Amino acid sequence: MQSSQKDLVVGIFVMLGLSAVAYLSLEVGGMSYSGPGGFTMTATFDEIGALTPRAPVVISGVKVGQVTSINLDDDLRAKVVLDVRPDLELSIDTSASIRTSGLLGNQYIALEPGGEIDLIQDGESLDFTESALNLEKLIGAFIHGSDVEGD
Amino acid sequence: MANPISEVGRQTLEMLSSFGRVTLFASDVARNLFRPPVRFGRTLEAIYDLGVLSVVLIATSGFAVGAVLGLQGYTTLVRFGAEESLGAVVGLSLIRELGPVLTGLLVTGRAGSSVAAEIGTMVATEQLDGLRMMSVNPVHFVALPKALAMTLVMPLLSAIFTVCAIFGGYVVGVELLGLDGGTYLASLETSVDFREDVVGSILKAVIFGALVGIISTYRGYSSEPNAAGVSRATTSTVVIASVTILFSDYFITALWGV
Amino acid sequence: MSASANVTETIESHVTFDSIFLSYGTRDVFRDLACEMLARRVTVLMGASGAGKSTLLRMIGGLQRPDRGHISVAGQALQELDEPGLAKVRKRLGMLFQNGALLDSMTIFDNVALPLREHSSLTEAEIATAVRERLDAVGLEGVENLLPGELSGGMLRRAALARAIVEDPEILLCDEPFSGLDPPNVERIEALLTRLNRERGLTVIVTSHHMASSLRMGHRLVLLRNNTAISGTPEELATSDDSEIRDFLGADGVAYLKTLSSGGTSE
Repeated sequence: MQSSQKDLVVGIFVMLGLSAVAYLSLEVGGMSYSGPGGFTMTATFDEIGALTPRAPVVISGVKVGQVTSINLDDDLRAKVVLDVRPDLELSIDTSASIRTSGLLGNQYIALEPGGEIDLIQDGESLDFTESALNLEKLIGAFIHGSDVEGD
Repeated sequence: MANPISEVGRQTLEMLSSFGRVTLFASDVARNLFRPPVRFGRTLEAIYDLGVLSVVLIATSGFAVGAVLGLQGYTTLVRFGAEESLGAVVGLSLIRELGPVLTGLLVTGRAGSSVAAEIGTMVATEQLDGLRMMSVNPVHFVALPKALAMTLVMPLLSAIFTVCAIFGGYVVGVELLGLDGGTYLASLETSVDFREDVVGSILKAVIFGALVGIISTYRGYSSEPNAAGVSRATTSTVVIASVTILFSDYFITALWGV
Repeated sequence: MSASANVTETIESHVTFDSIFLSYGTRDVFRDLACEMLARRVTVLMGASGAGKSTLLRMIGGLQRPDRGHISVAGQALQELDEPGLAKVRKRLGMLFQNGALLDSMTIFDNVALPLREHSSLTEAEIATAVRERLDAVGLEGVENLLPGELSGGMLRRAALARAIVEDPEILLCDEPFSGLDPPNVERIEALLTRLNRERGLTVIVTSHHMASSLRMGHRLVLLRNNTAISGTPEELATSDDSEIRDFLGADGVAYLKTLSSGGTSE
């Protein structure tokens, strides 16, 4: 093979390899240039269950963003930072609840819009949250016949 | 009448000095990296020999591994009703481990052995001495382009392997076993993190490439100048490089996860 | 006409070995070996297999160092030199290895051009002219774009010779240039080396088993025996008191010398 032909083939090979890397990084790995959404909110929970960063944030079943970080606040409750699409208009009484996808699936945050006219701003926190269901408490309550403790 | 204790001692010293020699060789190669002239032509040739000629092997093996993962993954997950996570299972195992490690082992077998054989033959036929007599540094002329090419090529091949494997898993999961294509890809995409998984994967591949590059060129370079020596260089390259990849895989995984 | 030195001409030494000691483990190779090779003359290193002929040759190029002793090449003491200094000496040497030692993966043209591309600042056109001139000088045509693997033994050796002389060295080192060749090719190589010596004034140092060529070509012979060297013109060695030396040349060798000195041609 001529060396000029070889150069071309090497070039194609490198392009192929880099495309594979790009696919894995951008599509699969979710690396993006500008960040997932841009609109940040916080929500505080007593119990986050198995929620992890990058878990989806969903409205009416449609993914609108993801969980950026989970930390403990000063009251030792779980402070979850959400990052969603900037074009969303959410009222200040929007609630966030932690749900499970399927029986054994991943946990995600579902946002339910409220009725207020005022909209929530970038960086503000959601007041209404519903913690993850604690399976042991549920079963215990069922067995002992007492009320389920929830909030 | 070898005293077993002194034999162990002798073997240990031999291993240590062997390790020392490889390290010195590696630093020699690294130093030559900064010496002119830059041998683009020879490096490109090496990329062709090591990378381009391995693509078919890597792509087909990748597809096969992905298909098996898809099959095994599905039959296990379906017992827990979690078959929707197949994409995640296939993707994560490949990106984190199987992609770089299997690519490393395959490339060692194909390209690592050929580099060792080629350089070993050059030693036996006095080609390296010929270079020395022309005041051309054999490490700079022969070893460096090959080691460099191996380091550059490995992450590219690993990515190709992984993509073909993901596709293999897709074909088995979706076409054969009836999983929904969108679910497969979504599960894959939500569970894979760029920083933790993809970057770690590429880093592993680069390190494996450098290791195989150094080991194969070193074994060829230090082989005895005869046919038996070349053959020993080839087999020892495959053995040593494979074991080194597997061990360093553990260390990289442990350190990267921290 | 016999190839003996002209008595009235002072010939300086081009390569000198002095008190050379070398051993591999328990095996002695050289013990207090001394000899010299004269400038612009053909010196043939002879000796039994394993006597160290190739080793001595490699020492001239700095590929092998003695355990003790002094080697001087073109006025430079080798043992004091570092890599850059050695490189300067090597520029004045050209070496023809036993199997050519051309790079398998490059064409003949690229192989012969390599020293020029690495060391000189000639343009590609100038390099092409130089390469073709050398290939012409060794009688090779049309092989430029072939790979070493595609050449026959004799042609390969001549291509390697072209590479060895491409930078116009002062000293040409040849390791067993006749081995493995059929008689016509032996003649070709011998004629080339003789011509390079006579026409270009190259100092030629050759290792060889081939008695007839050595006697014809060699101005001086260096016989490696008992870990040392014995030097002399072919006639001196043929008439030596030492029966072993005369035996080494053999009855045929001695007789052959007689035919050479009486102006006869070789058979």
